[in-house]
Amino acid sequence: MSTQTTIRPRKGLLALPENIWHSVFRNPLPSSDLGRASTSFTNFFLHIHPVKVHRHSLKATYTFGLGLIASFLFLILTVTGVLLMFYYVPSTTQAYDRMLDLRGTVAFGIFLRNMHRWAAHAMVAVVFLHMCRVFLTGAYKPPREFNWVLGILLLLVTFFLSFTGYLLPWDQLAFWAITVGTSIAGYAPVVGREVRFLLLGDSTVGQEALLRFYVLHCAVLPIVLTLLATIHFWRIRKDGGLARPAEEDAVSGDTSQAGEVAIVSAPTVVMATSAGAAAAARPLVEKRQYGIQGLVRGPLTKVGSLTDRFRFSWPDLFQAELLVFVITVAAILVVSLFFNAPLEEPVNVMHPPNPAKAPWYFLGLQEMVSYSAFWGGVGIPTIEVLILLLVPYLDRKQVGVGKWFARERLLANSLFMTFAVVNVVLIVIGTFFRGANWEFVSPW
Amino acid sequence: MTKNPMKPVAEETEGGVTRRTMLSWLSGFGLLGSLIIAALANFVFIKPRATYGQPNRFSIGKPEEFPSGARISLDTRRVCIVRDGDKVAAISTTCTHLGCIVGVSETGFACPCHGSRFDQDGNVTGGPAPRPLQWYQVSLAPNGELEVDKDNEIEVGTYLKV
Repeated sequence: MSTQTTIRPRKGLLALPENIWHSVFRNPLPSSDLGRASTSFTNFFLHIHPVKVHRHSLKATYTFGLGLIASFLFLILTVTGVLLMFYYVPSTTQAYDRMLDLRGTVAFGIFLRNMHRWAAHAMVAVVFLHMCRVFLTGAYKPPREFNWVLGILLLLVTFFLSFTGYLLPWDQLAFWAITVGTSIAGYAPVVGREVRFLLLGDSTVGQEALLRFYVLHCAVLPIVLTLLATIHFWRIRKDGGLARPAEEDAVSGDTSQAGEVAIVSAPTVVMATSAGAAAAARPLVEKRQYGIQGLVRGPLTKVGSLTDRFRFSWPDLFQAELLVFVITVAAILVVSLFFNAPLEEPVNVMHPPNPAKAPWYFLGLQEMVSYSAFWGGVGIPTIEVLILLLVPYLDRKQVGVGKWFARERLLANSLFMTFAVVNVVLIVIGTFFRGANWEFVSPW
Repeated sequence: MTKNPMKPVAEETEGGVTRRTMLSWLSGFGLLGSLIIAALANFVFIKPRATYGQPNRFSIGKPEEFPSGARISLDTRRVCIVRDGDKVAAISTTCTHLGCIVGVSETGFACPCHGSRFDQDGNVTGGPAPRPLQWYQVSLAPNGELEVDKDNEIEVGTYLKV
């Protein structure tokens, strides 16, 4: 092998800084394919990614980077959230004053609160759009059913995170949105009242509720979300990367490929590829010894000169991810510069604002609740979530995978679009067309 | 050929369960049981035994403070005191829909959150509220003051004569 991929420590005291550096970063910046492979493989942060990714997965118009944006938003939320915790006190007498302090005395206080608020709004929207992307490209089909389920759970945890965060400023909006929201929980059959009491720690929203929501928002739910997201990412790798059409894995006009694989016995990098390719792999049998490579489902991918449809993660994938990260952070920074997170009057338990509106992403729910508390707040949402969870187990046909609006999936996509549009329309009605006493008003 | 130590041999199990299987079941139940009990203990822990909110039984003053025809909403207590001649009643101002405070309106009560409307007696006349507003028991305490007990719901239209 002509290329240098690992570095041995050099002798002499002068080489000490260099030796320390290379003990941390084992690979020089890669100049060859083997180097590129090793760089992704030996770096803790990079090895979450495969060494090579399919070119179809790199197409910006396939994923729009939505899952990635959602996780970067969560990163922003964690950082700004931890910083805000240094100044926040979950007490009914102090919380609102602390909000004013963020505005008045804390350096960057208002800016951090803006970032936290807008990133939270963005995360709800992006997680929803990510779900739409996965559905409309048929990417939830086997073997990715369980990852879709994890995704739905992540959506619910995201909702719950923003719901619990909503109470913390302890302003009018917070208090009445949570009063209404927890009352909806009270409508759940059998356990409803008990759940509500456990959530609030009391019969009404007060100090106990504020403390409970604080603990849920800052400790419990972030841990749950991190755990679920980690499994979500891990499953992407185990399911062979992002879903793509079967024809992307077809060997077209390249009959020599199989032969070449046999010839080249130099170190090859093994990676799992798509389900289509996995089907080609020999089934594992009992009572045989396997090396670790034998257990990886999928064909061998060549590192040498052989052309395939895979690109090295370094630099193609990492550049793309860096770009998405920079755009996400920049967007949140710009929005936070120009728009301040709203803060209403301090809590007045005697006078609900009229109308008392929940955050925009719950206004569809509130609109339904204005017709029937049980069906709008509990019944229909539960049915929707159950159907979403069951989707990949009901619709298993391997058609239209990895393609936007595939013709074969017209029915499924139409049903999903109806579901999405109805929810968006309800949100729009709740946001713009409802005034005092929740009566219909025209925004014009 | 060596026996697989993890696999109970067939002839030993004939007509019964081996000691190993039995013990596996028992330890499985033990571990699972401990897990369930630990999970339940968490719920017992987070369910408060004492709450720090307002008392549900409170005094509202002498009957003379409420002239005939008065409909006085005590927002901190979340009740509306209604006096009609010599009859007094306490109607809840917590909306039965989602817990907002209903305001006193000309026709009865109106909720600002989701548009529920109630008549003078708290019966639903419009909007999503599923039940009429609750009536609470009012009694005359020995010191001559009226006392409302929110733990004691009474039938709509039941007044206290004073």
